[in-house]
Amino acid sequence: MKKIIIIIAQVILLYLFFQAGNFLQRLLHLPVSGSIVGLLLLFVLLLCRIVPLKWIEAGSVTIMSYLPLFFIPATAGIVNHLDIFSGKGLLLILILIISSVLTMAAAAHASQWLATLNGRHPGRSRWLGRRSIEKGKEI
Amino acid sequence: MVMLAAGIVLLNVAIYLMMSVIYRRYHLPFLIPALTATAAVVAILLWFKIPYDTYMIGGQWINQLLGPAVVSLAYPLYKQRHVLVQNLPAILGGTIAGLLVGMFSGLLLAAGLGFSKSYVLSLLPKSITTPVAIQISDSLGGDSSLTSVFVMVAGFTGAIGGPYIIKLFRIRSEVGIGIGFGTASHALGTAKALEYGEQSVSMSSVAMTVCAVVGSVIGPLVAWLMYP
Repeated sequence: MKKIIIIIAQVILLYLFFQAGNFLQRLLHLPVSGSIVGLLLLFVLLLCRIVPLKWIEAGSVTIMSYLPLFFIPATAGIVNHLDIFSGKGLLLILILIISSVLTMAAAAHASQWLATLNGRHPGRSRWLGRRSIEKGKEI
Repeated sequence: MVMLAAGIVLLNVAIYLMMSVIYRRYHLPFLIPALTATAAVVAILLWFKIPYDTYMIGGQWINQLLGPAVVSLAYPLYKQRHVLVQNLPAILGGTIAGLLVGMFSGLLLAAGLGFSKSYVLSLLPKSITTPVAIQISDSLGGDSSLTSVFVMVAGFTGAIGGPYIIKLFRIRSEVGIGIGFGTASHALGTAKALEYGEQSVSMSSVAMTVCAVVGSVIGPLVAWLMYP
C-alpha cells in the first residue's frame, strides 16, 4: 500500500514537471513541446542533485513500463483520417515506410561509425576498452 | 459524463493489458500493444459508430499521462549520463544524418511521385514527436492533422519493423540501435527500445529529444531547399 502511494506521489511530481515544461515553453516561445522541456528540466535538476533520484525512481519505472498505453488515445485519432489508407494515399504510406527505414539505418550507422572514430582517438584510449566490449556484444 | 469517462479509461486499460499478455506470449514485432490495442479501439469506434470526440471524453485522461511519461524518460537518461557524454559525437552525428536522410528521402519520393506541395511539406517532420512535428508542419504550410497521421506511420515503422531493420542493416551496438529507434520513430520507437536495454532507451530518448530540437531548425532549411 505504501509503495502505491509513493508511486502515485512520484507520478504527480512528474506531471508537475510536465506542466512546468509547458509553462516554460509558452513563456520562452521554445520550438519544442512542453513534455520535452519538462524532460530536460528534470534531467538538469537530477544532474545538479537538486532533485534526488529516489524522488522520481519508482514513479518513472512504473510509468515507463506502461508507456505504450498512453499513446492509444492519440494514435486512435487516425479514425478521422482513414481515407489516407486508400487510393493514392497508400503510396504516401509506402513512401513513409521506406523513408523511415532509411532514417533508422542512416542514424544507426552514422552513430556507430562516429562511435568507432571516437574510440580510436589517441587521447581517449580509456574509452577504447569500453567500446570494444560494447561492440563485441552482438544483439 | 464521469461514468462514461471512467468506462472508456477502464476499457482502454483492459484492452491494453489483454494485448500485453498476447504480446508477451507470442512476442512478434507486429503484436506490440501500442498497435494492437489502438487497432482494437479503432475497430470498436467504427463498429459502434462512436465519434472520436466522444471517445476522447475518457481518452483525454490517458492522453494527459503522455506528458509525464515523456518526462519520466529523464530517469534512464540520468542513469546513463556517462555513456551519453562519451557518445556525444555519435548521438549528434547520428540524429542529424538520420534527420537529413529521412527528410530528403521523404520529400524527393513524394514530390517525384507528383504529390502536391502541401502533402510533401506535411511529410517533412514525420520522424519527430507529434507535438513538435505539428508545430513544424504548421509553420511550413503543411496540414498538421495529416502530419500527425504520418508521425504515427513513422513511429510504427520503427516500432514494428525495428527488429527486422536491425538485422537487415546489420546494426550491432546498443548505441546504434537506440539512436536509430529515437531518430526514425520518436517516442513509439523509444518504447520499443526499452526491450533492448537501458542504454538503448536512454540513447533513443536522447535522439528523440535532439531530433525535436534540431528538426525544428533544419526542417525549414530543407523545405526552403526543396521549394526556394
